[in-house]
Amino acid sequence: MIKTVELTKIFRTDEVETTALNKVSFKIKQGEFVAIMGPSGCGKSTLLNILGLLDNPSEGRYYFLDTEVSSHSERQRAKLRKENIGFVFQNFNLIDELTVFENVELPLIYLRTPASERKRRVNEVLEQMQILHRKKHFPLQLSGGQQQRVAVARAVIAKPKLILADEPTGNLDSVHGEEVMAMLEALNQQGTTLVIVTHSQRDAEYSQRIVRLYDGQIITENIKESVK
Amino acid sequence: MFIHYVKILLRNLYKKKIYSFVNMTGLAIGIASFILIMLFVVDELGYDRHHSRADRIYRLCMVYDFGGVGENSASQPFPVAFTLKDEYPDMVQNIVRIFNFQSTRNFIEYGDLKFIEKRFFFADSTFFEIFDHEFIAGNAKTALDEPNSVVITESIAGKYFRDEDPLGKIIDFESGLHLKVTGIIKDVPEQSHFIFDFIGSMGSVKNMFRGRLPDTWVWNPCWTYLLLSEGASVEQLELQLPEFTEKFFFDAQKESITLYTQPLTDIHLRSKLDYEIQPNSNITYIGILIIIAVFILIIASINFMNLATATSGTRAREIGIRKVTGAYRSQLIGQFLGESLFLTLISMILAFILVEIVMPVFNGFTGKDLEINSLFTLPNFFLVLILWLVVGIFSGLYPAFFLSAFKPISVLRGMIGSEVRRGTGRKILVVFQFTVTIALLVGTLVIFSQLKYVGNTDLGFNKDNIVLLPVNRTAMADLEVYTSFKNELLQNPDILSVTAMDDIIGAAHNTHEFRPEGVPEDEWHFFPALVIRHDFVKTFEIEIVSGRDYSEDFKTDAANSVLINEAMVKHLGWRSNLDALGRKFRSLAGDERVIGVFKDFHATSLHEASGPFVLNIKERPIEIRYFIRYVAIKIGHGDPGKTLAFIRQKWNDFEDVRPFDYSFLDDELSGLYEDEKNLGMLSLVFTLIIMFIAALGLFGLASFMAEKRTKEISIRKVMGASIIHIFMLLSGEFVKLILIATFIAWPLSYFLIDEFFLNQFYQRVPLNVWIFIMSGLFALIIALIITSYRAITASHTNPAESLKYE
Repeated sequence: MIKTVELTKIFRTDEVETTALNKVSFKIKQGEFVAIMGPSGCGKSTLLNILGLLDNPSEGRYYFLDTEVSSHSERQRAKLRKENIGFVFQNFNLIDELTVFENVELPLIYLRTPASERKRRVNEVLEQMQILHRKKHFPLQLSGGQQQRVAVARAVIAKPKLILADEPTGNLDSVHGEEVMAMLEALNQQGTTLVIVTHSQRDAEYSQRIVRLYDGQIITENIKESVK
Repeated sequence: MFIHYVKILLRNLYKKKIYSFVNMTGLAIGIASFILIMLFVVDELGYDRHHSRADRIYRLCMVYDFGGVGENSASQPFPVAFTLKDEYPDMVQNIVRIFNFQSTRNFIEYGDLKFIEKRFFFADSTFFEIFDHEFIAGNAKTALDEPNSVVITESIAGKYFRDEDPLGKIIDFESGLHLKVTGIIKDVPEQSHFIFDFIGSMGSVKNMFRGRLPDTWVWNPCWTYLLLSEGASVEQLELQLPEFTEKFFFDAQKESITLYTQPLTDIHLRSKLDYEIQPNSNITYIGILIIIAVFILIIASINFMNLATATSGTRAREIGIRKVTGAYRSQLIGQFLGESLFLTLISMILAFILVEIVMPVFNGFTGKDLEINSLFTLPNFFLVLILWLVVGIFSGLYPAFFLSAFKPISVLRGMIGSEVRRGTGRKILVVFQFTVTIALLVGTLVIFSQLKYVGNTDLGFNKDNIVLLPVNRTAMADLEVYTSFKNELLQNPDILSVTAMDDIIGAAHNTHEFRPEGVPEDEWHFFPALVIRHDFVKTFEIEIVSGRDYSEDFKTDAANSVLINEAMVKHLGWRSNLDALGRKFRSLAGDERVIGVFKDFHATSLHEASGPFVLNIKERPIEIRYFIRYVAIKIGHGDPGKTLAFIRQKWNDFEDVRPFDYSFLDDELSGLYEDEKNLGMLSLVFTLIIMFIAALGLFGLASFMAEKRTKEISIRKVMGASIIHIFMLLSGEFVKLILIATFIAWPLSYFLIDEFFLNQFYQRVPLNVWIFIMSGLFALIIALIITSYRAITASHTNPAESLKYE
């Protein structure tokens, strides 16, 4: 599903040049659950952004669903994104002015799904995430765990092939964190490919494979015993 | 999708109440001002277009030029009109003369009703064939055919005849001419350069002149309008005019006369000739108003842009999420443009309400009769629609492109583009707003100081405490009556001096034929002159610099002497004022000589230069009857009410028919600057509005900045910053921007005010540096008051709270 070849990302400011990713090559198969770990500033989020088509690499190639996308335009990337990728963020990133229902509905709007279909699917997913009773609330009226469940609901609503999660439990206490991880695991078991960036060894344990980054390079790739 | 956008828009509006208020109020006031000014401008541009043949109607004008002295006249000698039509029948389809005995005060009687009428004219029977006027009664084709007939307007019909049928009734013109009402027309539309209440037939004038209209090619009292034949070109006609002049005007004049045409629709805004029927407006002032209107709109739109981009931080996350969930940039641009169009629409509705509310006041001080309904008629409605789209898109374009360019990864990580933090674009917009504001303020102050200057300028004569009595065709036209009246008046110690003249000094004058020493025997030169009576120099305190004033002790003075001014001495190339004394200065009355030279005074408005001038006493009874049109009475500092009552009583002793009528000279002269006063008032009002809108924008921006920097302020306070420090921190930036704006506005306004306003005047107020300093200072103070309010509230926040929140 995903293949990167010597992916490099360099950030330039007036005086400093920072290599965030340095010739990263790896593959992710359909249905896999991969955790990316590493210390702060090692390039985890940069990698996730490129995988999520939010950013282009400076060098190297990126194959998404067997298509080379590293030089795609913003518009082409937006199209691939909305049809195939769901995102979950550490700080939830819900729109404060929209209700729970409207936040989750958003991707379907951009996919031009008819209103009745939208309503049915949003209700279904909210039910699945056990947050249906809060659908008319605004994000600021919810607890962190509830917000993240809404964010996960939004990420899966369009039935993406790939879900990218950036520190999904970083702002949650351990109980809520586990709840969210369990949810993500369930999605993976239903066939969705899952890539998470995390500091937490416990979260990483849910995955089938852990990729460790240091200074923009992959230092180890452990495939867990259970999967071998 | 649409409902979704409306929802988020409304929730945002509600959440950011201050910004929404600033945005919509500013924009609504801006649009309302724009609409008001444009209604005014469109009205001004629409003058005389209600005549169906307006595009083929031209006024014939003429320049008399004697070495730079003479006149540029809106009117023609009597014979010109029909001679021209006979000469060029293919090009001139029709022609009409309009005449008013050069008098704007005519005495009209009907039964017991007696009125002085200011808008009484006579015209050829072709009048209604050229100009469109709707007849309520009578026949347009024949109404002016017969001598002694008159067409009146609906209002006049009501004023004189009430419930009677006016047709066939007789009114008396100047107690001598009996005119039969042959037609009633609708009142002349306000949008006319020529508004009349009565049009008498030219045949009546013929009767007044004992059966023959004047056949002189010199005296030029007839406003002459021609209707060009269909398909004929006015350029071609113009090419024939020199030949026409050559053929008909008499030899001594030919060289100095140029005839030309003026399109009817240009007269109101582009004509400022000698002897206009009524004062016109000035196209330059219309241009200034249009510029002000556009700037108001731009400045209100800038508020919108500034606040939208400044508050973009709070919407950055939304933009990021939308992009992540698959929104194309074009969809976001669409969303933000849509928001801007929606807000503009609401502002427009508010603006319409505002316009409706202030319309009566606006009409009151512009003297117009504008209506908001005219906006909803078909062509105008499209313009309103275009206005909406232009303002909506213009205001929304910059925010739309700016916001939609946010990179989702940056904004979602809380890193908004450096542009938002620095706000370079916003600073430029604030500088622009205040540059315009300060420049307009300078402009307005200059207009007012010029008006004040005009009021205070030493005109070379004293205009204060002078009572003017119009005496044309009254008993006073008789020299003996006049002399007795004068002597009676002078019995009152509060009446200092009495004289008479043919035009109002300082406002108008005629030109007369003279042949000064050195001019060939067969030539006459036309010089500006006033025909006067004794004590003129004394009454107006004109300074004689050489020779002497007229004196009743010298019986030959009236027939043999003229007074000329210093400019005339120079114009004629005479060596000195002294040298001028005793020189020949022939007039139509005979051989006259210069007995005195007076200091130049301003014989007309200060728009024009003062040039060579003659003061001349006429002696023959017929001349006196014609030329004594105003009696001027210098009164003392006693109770003016009492003095006026005394004058009235004396008037009634000598004149038993004509009611007493008077005005003050300084009022008459200040009327010359009506146009500038209007412009000054309009520009003052709209400058204040621009200031208000700009201040509103600054308030919104300052609020936002203070909010945005709460954390910074708290940290600074923890580190020991005082309230003053915080105040300087927050206000300092705006002060810098206002100063930059001031330095741009100064040279800009200096150039513009010179080019577009002061150039309209020959006598210009010297530009005072204080006007510039005050304008900048005023803007600065306003900005300080606004930003300091925000700065002080911000500096009072409790650091513990805001830091904890962060």
